[in-house]
Amino acid sequence: MSDGDVKVHDVIMIGAGPAALSAAIYTTREDIETVLFEKGVPGGLAAITDKVDNYPGFPEGIQGLELATNMQQQAERFGAKIEFTEVLSIKDEGEYKRVTTTDGDRLAKAILIATGSDYKKIGVPGEQEYYARGVHYCATCDGAFYRDKKLVVVGGGNSAVQEAIFLTRFASHIDLLVRSKIRASDVLQKELEKYKDKITVHLNTTTDEIVGENNKIVKVIGTSKETGKSVEFHTDGVFIFVGLDPNSKFLEGSGVELDEVGLVKTNERLETSVPGIFAAGDIRSGATMQIASATGEGATAALMIREYLEGREHPIQN
Amino acid sequence: MPKNITIYTTSTCAYCPMVKKYLDAKGLQYDEVNLDQNPERQAEALELSGALTVPITVVTKDDDTKAVVVGYNLAKLAPAIA
Repeated sequence: MSDGDVKVHDVIMIGAGPAALSAAIYTTREDIETVLFEKGVPGGLAAITDKVDNYPGFPEGIQGLELATNMQQQAERFGAKIEFTEVLSIKDEGEYKRVTTTDGDRLAKAILIATGSDYKKIGVPGEQEYYARGVHYCATCDGAFYRDKKLVVVGGGNSAVQEAIFLTRFASHIDLLVRSKIRASDVLQKELEKYKDKITVHLNTTTDEIVGENNKIVKVIGTSKETGKSVEFHTDGVFIFVGLDPNSKFLEGSGVELDEVGLVKTNERLETSVPGIFAAGDIRSGATMQIASATGEGATAALMIREYLEGREHPIQN
Repeated sequence: MPKNITIYTTSTCAYCPMVKKYLDAKGLQYDEVNLDQNPERQAEALELSGALTVPITVVTKDDDTKAVVVGYNLAKLAPAIA
């Protein structure tokens, strides 16, 4: 369907990570025409994770890319369409919502925001300067460049520990710099123990500067919070996993209410402050940042969207 | 139409299949260099791109000029293959 020159959809889902792909399986099975706009890779951060061990149904775990591909194929089997474009803004125009992308405008009866998050930067000198030339945020993409080299991994959560373990297949040694204490799951902490010959954990250690010479990273300078003294780690590269940054900048001026860190506020029906615009997954304020909860939220959002569309077509008469 | 396209990939990179799918959809042939299987060619990828990352797509045009695209970046890939 089109309105003038602008194509109209039943639902536009912004993002094609686990939440949106799960939602799309549900909406398309209900014959609700659904298009997903993805600016990166379907599956989002899940797709660039080495191994997913806590998603039900895979007793031996599953590669993140394989899980993401399976979800994508399942959604596409029911008719979901994924288009590769970046959403620049959305606007509520009453009956329809306008979605402006790098490839033009579209209209939708309902929108699902499922843009997730990207890995956060730490904002220290050298981080931006050496991006992709020694500073990395994707171990499965860039780890192979560090065969038999020394690495620093920054972070103490699940991602940092999981990816540090993944990087041991390439690196000769890894210094894991943890600002306070390890926050990864008990299972991952036990797994980390098995790699103590290759991964040295430095607790209470900040990362202050990434230093290069002749266009190559040579060391990371930090501070031990226990001694207050500066510490140096000689390295060939740095992988940073210190939390997530919500992908919500495109919502500025949309009327969709965000919380203090930029996550989308919703009610218990996963509806945002704008009727007909829903949110699910890591972008939602209060989300638990797990793939399993993202897919659950996606399913819930799809059912709420169906109710919204039915109410829109058949409003209750008082 | 490009004269030649080479993509440097690794086995675990999620963005690499995206570039290949994009080129497949455009009906373009390409050579793939998997850097896990050919680690000796990493230096070549670094020299071409200045980046320690994949995917790296090197498009050789009819006049033998080269366009190098780092990452899955359609804004740069689309004009490179035009």
